[in-house]
Amino acid sequence: MRFAHRLTLVPAVLLALAMFAVPVAFVFSEAVFTPEFSLAHFERFFSRAAYLSVYRNTLVVSAAVASICLAVGYPMALFIVGQPAGRRPLLLFLVLVPLWMSILVRTYAWMVVLGREGIVNGALQWLGLTDEPLTLMFTTGAVYVAMVQILLPIMVVTCYSAMTEIDPGLVRAARVCGASPFAAFRKVFLPLSLEGAVTGWSVIFILSMGFFIVPALVGGRRDVLLGNMIVNQVGQANWGFAGALAIVLLVSTIVLLGLVRLVAGRFLYSPREA
Amino acid sequence: MRTRLVPTLLFALGVLFLFFPILIVAPMSFSGDRFLGFPPKSWGLVWYEAYFSDPVWLAATWRSLRVATLAGLIATLSGTAGVVGLARLPRRWRAGVTGLLLAPAIVPNVIVALGVFVLALRFGSTDSEATLMLAHAAIGLPFVVMIVGAAYRQTDPTLEKAARVFGAGPLRAFWTATVPPLAPAILAAFIFAFFVSFDELVIALFLMGGSETLPVRIWNDLRFEINPTIAAISTFFVVVTALAMGLAETLRIRATRRQGNS
Repeated sequence: MRFAHRLTLVPAVLLALAMFAVPVAFVFSEAVFTPEFSLAHFERFFSRAAYLSVYRNTLVVSAAVASICLAVGYPMALFIVGQPAGRRPLLLFLVLVPLWMSILVRTYAWMVVLGREGIVNGALQWLGLTDEPLTLMFTTGAVYVAMVQILLPIMVVTCYSAMTEIDPGLVRAARVCGASPFAAFRKVFLPLSLEGAVTGWSVIFILSMGFFIVPALVGGRRDVLLGNMIVNQVGQANWGFAGALAIVLLVSTIVLLGLVRLVAGRFLYSPREA
Repeated sequence: MRTRLVPTLLFALGVLFLFFPILIVAPMSFSGDRFLGFPPKSWGLVWYEAYFSDPVWLAATWRSLRVATLAGLIATLSGTAGVVGLARLPRRWRAGVTGLLLAPAIVPNVIVALGVFVLALRFGSTDSEATLMLAHAAIGLPFVVMIVGAAYRQTDPTLEKAARVFGAGPLRAFWTATVPPLAPAILAAFIFAFFVSFDELVIALFLMGGSETLPVRIWNDLRFEINPTIAAISTFFVVVTALAMGLAETLRIRATRRQGNS
């Protein structure tokens, strides 16, 4: 009987193994065994300045996008939590709706908005602020704007769900004991909500590391990320090198998140363990 | 109560930023002009006509719908069955198996895509909707396990036991006592898994060669020109997606809330 119940796991496990675990393992073996066992692909990656700058760029853009999302998303979540309970679902819904638009569609929209003939340039010229259209497309700024717009809802939701778990009685207790509203926020609410903030930052960092649509469509030549390099290498049938890039991407993400957890762990209350 | 004007304004600005792209694209899709410009000089349904009368765009749309429906079904069925199995697994196995089922949500799709493609090359199964469908089912699986899993943990296991006591066989007990309260979560999971597939670009891009899915068609189109047809397609699908996801979200919230109260 119990055994029969466990058999229900078979299809899901087979699917995850065949279409995920085995292929990813294959990427790893491809990276070290193509054409024969060597670390040549990694040497090539780590010895060329052009590749290293793509690598640095990927880390910088991902960390910056995650931090911008945190700086904007945390106050937005805080605002929603501060509203009467009846109004919160609607506000959260407003933030979530854009998440349901395909990333391609949203990137396309930014292409329309930021283009030479786009709305931003149209508005600036109409206001007489510039005579010539500004170059907004194919810039690093455009990559940031589009990525933040795409990922921000995830940050708001993550922070929001962490904030709703906080017992409002704790903040009230701090106020009763004489803390100013700001002190009550900083000493009680902020530390308790920090875990959600760290989770949100990590999730957005992970997602950013794998981005390639946005930089390819609205970024310039210098805004190439690791994801774009992998796609390009696959286009040129360089499986081995593409595999090495994939490993670098995956391992860096995991190592960095481990570091974030480690550093954050020292500052976080962990309400569940307390 | 004080009305806090400044925070409200800032929040509204944030929401406006999130909605900005679609607020621009939707009106442009009704432009009657030959070229993209804002605001449009004339209005019409030209781009919708262009979309619905172009066999290439339509073929890509049908392919995406077909793949997403089947991928969604495979992910939902295997994921729901998996959730039941997970709950019965000894604790030391559970973490590992859960990790395996959830991992595709964390590993970038481009890495999965590379692996699936290189493997499919070996087996000669590239350019196949079946391969694409299974790969999409695997990346949809984590969402099913999360959504159905959350609802399953809130169900009352005594219901199923009661059904067994009253003489139902294990399958019948499961089907009549455990599944009905899970139904909204299962439907929500299907809709999520459907859109994971419907939206997915990179696996289809590597795998599908000549037979483009809708995202691949859009991607190939965008790289060469900014075509207003895409504004029409985008608006059309944003409306469809918003309706479907709105439904999924309502079902999910209702499913968790109702069981939370009981």
